[in-house]
Amino acid sequence: MATVAPALPADYAPPTASTSRLTPASHRTLLPIGPAYLNHLKLSLKHANDFEALDSHLKDELDKKRALEADGANGEDDLGVGDEPEADEVLDLDPKEWKKHDYYAVLGLSHLRFRATQDQIKIAHRKKVLKHHPDKKVSSATPPTNALQFSGINTNDDAFFKCIQKAHEVLSHPEKRRQFDSVDPTFIEWEEDLPSTSVKNKKDLKFFTTFGPIFEHYSRFSRVQPVPPLGAVDATKAEVEGFYDFWYNFDSWRSFEWWDKEVNEGSDNRDDKRYTEKKNKSERARRKKEDTAKLRGLVDLTLGLDPRIKRIKQEEKEAREAKKRGAAGGPPKKTKQQEEEEKKKLEEEARKKEEEEKAARAEAKKAKAAAANAAKKARRAARAAEGET
Amino acid sequence: MSSTPRTPNGRPEPSAELTTLPPVIGINLGNSYASIAEGLAECIANEDGERQIACAISFHGEEMYIGNQAKVQLVKNSQNTITGFRNILGKKFSEIPQSALNMSAPVIQHPDLPDVPAYKVTVLQPAPSPLPIRPGNTSNYNTPSASNIPTPRSEPMSVDRYLTPDEVTTIFIRSLITSAEAFLGKKVKDAVITIPSWFTDAQQAALEKAAAETGVNVLQLLDEAGAAATTTTAESWESSLSPDRTQLLVDVGASSTSITVLSIRSGLAHVLASSNTPSVGGDTIDDKLIKHFSSEFTKKTKIPLTVIPATDIQDKRAEAKLRLALEHTKRTISASPGAATCSIESLKDGVDYTGSINRMRFDLVARPVYVSIGNAIISLLESNSIDSHDIDEIIYLGGSTSLPGLDEYICLSCGFREEVETPFTRGTVVGGGIGDPTTILARGCAVQAHLISSIIEEEDLKSAFTSKTSKAGDVNVTVRTLGVLLPNSNQDELGGMWVPVVKKETALPARRTVRVDVELSESNKVAMEVWEVKEGIRIEKTKPPKADYTDSEDDEEEEEEIEVKHQTLTKETFLGVIQFEAKAGIKVKGKSEYAGKILTSVDVRFVVGVDMGLKVVVKEVGEGGVDVNFEVPGLA
Repeated sequence: MATVAPALPADYAPPTASTSRLTPASHRTLLPIGPAYLNHLKLSLKHANDFEALDSHLKDELDKKRALEADGANGEDDLGVGDEPEADEVLDLDPKEWKKHDYYAVLGLSHLRFRATQDQIKIAHRKKVLKHHPDKKVSSATPPTNALQFSGINTNDDAFFKCIQKAHEVLSHPEKRRQFDSVDPTFIEWEEDLPSTSVKNKKDLKFFTTFGPIFEHYSRFSRVQPVPPLGAVDATKAEVEGFYDFWYNFDSWRSFEWWDKEVNEGSDNRDDKRYTEKKNKSERARRKKEDTAKLRGLVDLTLGLDPRIKRIKQEEKEAREAKKRGAAGGPPKKTKQQEEEEKKKLEEEARKKEEEEKAARAEAKKAKAAAANAAKKARRAARAAEGET
Repeated sequence: MSSTPRTPNGRPEPSAELTTLPPVIGINLGNSYASIAEGLAECIANEDGERQIACAISFHGEEMYIGNQAKVQLVKNSQNTITGFRNILGKKFSEIPQSALNMSAPVIQHPDLPDVPAYKVTVLQPAPSPLPIRPGNTSNYNTPSASNIPTPRSEPMSVDRYLTPDEVTTIFIRSLITSAEAFLGKKVKDAVITIPSWFTDAQQAALEKAAAETGVNVLQLLDEAGAAATTTTAESWESSLSPDRTQLLVDVGASSTSITVLSIRSGLAHVLASSNTPSVGGDTIDDKLIKHFSSEFTKKTKIPLTVIPATDIQDKRAEAKLRLALEHTKRTISASPGAATCSIESLKDGVDYTGSINRMRFDLVARPVYVSIGNAIISLLESNSIDSHDIDEIIYLGGSTSLPGLDEYICLSCGFREEVETPFTRGTVVGGGIGDPTTILARGCAVQAHLISSIIEEEDLKSAFTSKTSKAGDVNVTVRTLGVLLPNSNQDELGGMWVPVVKKETALPARRTVRVDVELSESNKVAMEVWEVKEGIRIEKTKPPKADYTDSEDDEEEEEEIEVKHQTLTKETFLGVIQFEAKAGIKVKGKSEYAGKILTSVDVRFVVGVDMGLKVVVKEVGEGGVDVNFEVPGLA
């Protein structure tokens, strides 16, 4: 505030209390116009001239309206696309560097990303085009202030529009979109700080809150949907097994064409082209392999840390023991126990067999090595003998 | 709304929200020109690109022209061109003054209906189609009717058609709505239409009926002053003035001028005074200019041309041509500081005329009209004992008020404060923006239509809002300004700093909050006296600063005194005092005027009830601030 009221003089003596009233009012007729009059009507007709009642009523209405808007219930449904404001760095994107753009941010779909449906992409594209069409930029430009604008040179006005078009082109083409989604910049960024094996040593590791979201993130790449979640600490054995089964056999559609080196279009050299293509192909395969290995490592890590595995083993053991004890108790459990024993026996046998095989294999290997050694020795002896003669 | 860019030519950004807007429009129906605005309160151009649509309908042969196309027909086809129908809408034939000077189709007594005015126009009606040849109708006689070729339709025939003003209005409003629908891309359901303040109930009923014929529901017939106030109280007006202000509306139409003083109090508006001068308007300016240009023409070409009144048919036609061409001249004068041209092909006897007029000359020619408008303002203010000093803002309505000369004259001659805000000081006159005098009314109607359509489900509110008979608008208003006085040590006339909180002429119940920064003494005590004050004007006569003239002879004549007005305050009623010890004072740092002193901010809230009961809440801003209440009981 520009003016500041003066300090109270020390010798201030308040005037004697007054019993006066306000001057009686005069009468006027308000013009029935505008939102203020509407509020006045509400105040006088519905709230008995009580400002507090009106305030709370208006607040309620505003809340209601907001809730309605959030539901998208008013007017045309934009399928939850919303109006995301563009950040400055998005607006300043260079259309020539289109491979590096975040298309979801360009179309204002950052909150949906790979979940956005084709309809949503279409709506978002329309919204952006309405807002950023170059024709509109010229008409809505602020009055020209410098000589450059006077001369009619409007610098780079459609750059963002080009970005929008490119984003739409990519996202509305299923194959291109798949390639882009595979290397979605925000996902790559997120992927960089995945937990490594070092988390094993972390004392206060929160297993479910750490690994749950990770698998949720990765589930986007699965060709098979829905993807079983990591689940909670009290998941059943079947659930846990199903989870690891799924993730060890993960069928991913992720691919890395997006990062291909551009084939030099200018040259007609067929060999050049083939060379680049070949390199790209191998690079893609390498990345895919890396990705698979990374995921596998992650699953291994999870399996290693999963507290439920320990619990399930413990439970099984207890169950076995209980059965054992139960077998002594009564005949109905006998068959089960027998089965168990049989199974155990089978397992034992299998293990034995395996061990035997292993031993045999080792033996064979040893024998082979020994044979090879012997052959070598023989050869050497022969050479020596030759030398002597 | 302030963030959305407004294009210089007034076209709205077709935004995504557009589709969710209710299909409502605002129509400003003037006597000479109309304009339309859509839900976002932007003025719509019709198919011809005109935002100012002439209220004219012309019949030529089988064709009907509406709007500016029809106005052009006034030259060649004036007998079949209808203008000025709004003013006689709903009137009986006997009530209409018979003016001798009428360029357009004459108003006559309807041949069939008693005491109903009508326009007689001659149109070509398609002839009735001939009887089709019936198969099997073979004639025994070898006559032409027996031939197989269908009888050709005969030429359209000329018939006289009688159109009542109601029918004409319906045709015209329908064309406006068609234009709006073409722009919006959907059907228009509701509309708000302006009416002049002098419209009688019968006229309002007639307008409502005529509009209903077009299939559009009229939400409200809005007084022109109300429509203007709707626009000027809206957020998009972006005024720097306080929401409690006094406005002067100067509406210079083509055929009449109306002046209204409005008290705007936080968006609530009521009329303090209004007047209507039917004989002054844009047409009178035109008359002066026509005289000017015709005498120029005669001077240049030696062809006699008598206008206003023109007797000869040739002169009449020349006058009509001049009148049409002047439209362009006036627009150019309003828009650019340079000279404006007026060119007419074959003005008389096949001689072309091109003349130019600069602003100074224009103002000189139009000055009598400016003077009469200025006088109308002065007499209205005087007769209602409103001082011109109290006017905070001047709003112009109607195309003629875009003339900078008129604004200059009004500001200088009527004794307004120097800082009075006009659309010219705001720089919003040209360009079809929000301050454009030709669009304000239509915008106001659109805002109003939007507002009413938002409460369409709340029947009781809507009826209180729109019905003419509703008593909800009758309110008590304060007579004196209420506020707090913060005493200081110097013994001037008030004995402290006066902070007005509730201004006079504020509709009740009212609630206002003012934030005051108070300097604290060592005792941290703050006292606020609640007073009713009377505002007055003190006129000081001072001599102008001596100008250094070399001409000593003029010196004696220059000794004229000028009046300087000052606002004065007289303490009227003492209502009580609020005293408290401030607890949230903050020491000011930095290099400002108050550095080192302890200041505190205080919110003073006044709530004045309908019964004139006053409740004052003083709240210190900040953590641990003091909260003091004070009450004055209402009048029983």
